[in-house]
Amino acid sequence: MAEVSGGQVARLAVLFERHHRPLFRYFLSMNGNRELAEDLVQEVFFRMLRYRTSYDPAQSFTAWMYQIARNAGVDQARKRGTAQVVDIDTFVDRRAELVSASPDPEESVSRGQDLALLRRAMDQLPEDKREILVLSRFQGMKHEDIAEVLGCEVGTVKVRVYRAIRALEQIYFALEKEKAS
Amino acid sequence: MNMTRRLLAGMGLAALAAAQLRAQDGRQQITMPFRDPSMPRKLVVEGGTGSLTIRGYQGQDAIIEYTGREIPGANGRGRSGRNEPPAGMHRIGGSRGLDITEESNTVRVNSQNIFGGTARDMVIQVPAQTSVNVKTMFGGSMTIENISGDIEAENFNGQVTINNASGSVVAHSMNGKILVSLDRVAADKSMSFSTFNGDVDVTLPADTKARFKMRTDFGEIYTDFDVKMEANAAPVVEESKDKSGKSRRRVRVDGTQTGTINGGGPEMQFTTFNGRILIHKK
Amino acid sequence: MTCDQARTQMLGGGEGKDFAEHLESCESCRNEVSRIGTLWQSLDLLPMEEPSGQVRERFYEMLGAYRQGLASAEPRRAFQWWQMAAAAALVVVGLGIGYGVREDKSRPELVQLREEVASMRQLVALSLMQQQSASDRLRGVSWSYQVEPSDEEVMNALVTTVNHDPSVNVRLAAVDALRPFTGSPATHVMARNAVIQALPKQTTPIVQVALIDFLAELKERNAAPELRRLVSDPDIDSGVRKRAEWALERMQ
Repeated sequence: MAEVSGGQVARLAVLFERHHRPLFRYFLSMNGNRELAEDLVQEVFFRMLRYRTSYDPAQSFTAWMYQIARNAGVDQARKRGTAQVVDIDTFVDRRAELVSASPDPEESVSRGQDLALLRRAMDQLPEDKREILVLSRFQGMKHEDIAEVLGCEVGTVKVRVYRAIRALEQIYFALEKEKAS
Repeated sequence: MNMTRRLLAGMGLAALAAAQLRAQDGRQQITMPFRDPSMPRKLVVEGGTGSLTIRGYQGQDAIIEYTGREIPGANGRGRSGRNEPPAGMHRIGGSRGLDITEESNTVRVNSQNIFGGTARDMVIQVPAQTSVNVKTMFGGSMTIENISGDIEAENFNGQVTINNASGSVVAHSMNGKILVSLDRVAADKSMSFSTFNGDVDVTLPADTKARFKMRTDFGEIYTDFDVKMEANAAPVVEESKDKSGKSRRRVRVDGTQTGTINGGGPEMQFTTFNGRILIHKK
Repeated sequence: MTCDQARTQMLGGGEGKDFAEHLESCESCRNEVSRIGTLWQSLDLLPMEEPSGQVRERFYEMLGAYRQGLASAEPRRAFQWWQMAAAAALVVVGLGIGYGVREDKSRPELVQLREEVASMRQLVALSLMQQQSASDRLRGVSWSYQVEPSDEEVMNALVTTVNHDPSVNVRLAAVDALRPFTGSPATHVMARNAVIQALPKQTTPIVQVALIDFLAELKERNAAPELRRLVSDPDIDSGVRKRAEWALERMQ
């Protein structure tokens, strides 16, 4: 096994500090399970260490990392059989609590509900739409990099992001209506 | 898993599990096992009057041996060995205030004997890899030998002697010499040796890599290591008048002296207020 | 530009005159932009989840194990995660140039790298100061010299250490480690006050003397009342009292 030099260790450590949180959030958005998300973060860094020679410096690092991440996610899903069913309501209510307090209590309650609703809408998005939204909005990835990760054209990315947010909007309003009734 | 097994020494209760009491020439011995030999072990000793010796050995358990001896109470009068109780009263308990417990692989030996009465000279043997944490309040000398775990020792009135240590050492005495000899220094362990009144005398392997921070307010620093000094603080000349009104001069080096040996490494701090610092090469 | 084209531009950076012109003339697209825009913005408000501390521990353990040449990523008990982090931070500092980036301070990547290293050092210092072993806490105090003197978090941790650490040696080391913080405009007032307030809390002579010396060096006159109290208190060790007297003289 090729020896890992001090320099490579340092490099990976810095990359870890920079990327492990967003990576965690990516996995959490995709599967809703904290433990699984943490396991997957480990798996990704392990694979990056192991397959470091396959990384082409000309390639965007983020793109490479998320490719590994998606593969790891898929492998996990295969191992675990059917996707885990997460109790969305408890998941979402907990998040609503995390919303930062606003000086106006009423506003914060309603904002909290909006965000809870938003979160639910996100979770109800079809997986591929959710993923592209997470990658572009939360990970702040460039369209070129997303294209590389998803294996499509850059132009397609733009369209898909737009469609994803439209879908989110529809689900959100549907949920709002449901609530009001 | 969280059960605390308590042994109240000297109460003569034979039903205590895993404890062996042996009375021999006024010496008592108690064996206390560590519940999980595969996990790190820790020994904590608190309180006590009398001398304390802790020794690493090849066994698995903590063996605590102690000799009680009467020491004068606060009024200065020694009590007789027969412990005459005051009229109409009887004494409760044998060796008062000695608690030995084990919890989560930590053996705790606690003696709270502040007001005279029985002083205990203790010898404790533990597996060599045990980490040792000792804090005595009014103890006599403290000796720790053959331990490869982390050593943390604080003595109030008495010397701290540490021999054949191969883990880390953090030692302090309020009034007493700090005498330490390390067989081996782990590559990344920080250490500190300090006393208010007394010498700090430390012996290290010749190839130790470290950064020394040395400070003595009244005393000199000696070493046979080749120390590469960092910016030297200028000496300060102090004038003072002694009892007869005569003017006295004392040369004091203000501030901490810093230097490295063998290219540098983790920090070792040597501090004394009134005393010399001696750092020997082994 | 058609409505379809315009819509796909919305999120991918709707620049260009064509896009702006289309919006001016098309109300439905304008509405869409504002709705989508609001939704897009509010996604930002969703609270960010944080992973547990275990992730970091496991990562550094794995890294350590990998370096040891183990085929499996089995964590070795001997390795503490912060040891790897510390080693990594040190190597990064040394590699600042060898990262393939020329020493150009304006390059964002190098600045970011510096920030990451700085926050890693802070992390290492803070974590070490909470460890069970006195030797580790000493290491944490040494690490505090590596952080910026404006780092309030580390400074506060040091003050807590001075006031509450169970080990005399660690308290002593922490007093010295506060020195750089008295030189930084951001923290020097807090640092000085902390040292003044720490003095009455200490009962161990060697730490008391270290604090007194520090105050004398700083010529901190606000400490004079406390120093006078020490001089006249018969329960205080005579060495300490003399030192307090000396400090008062020095501050004249």
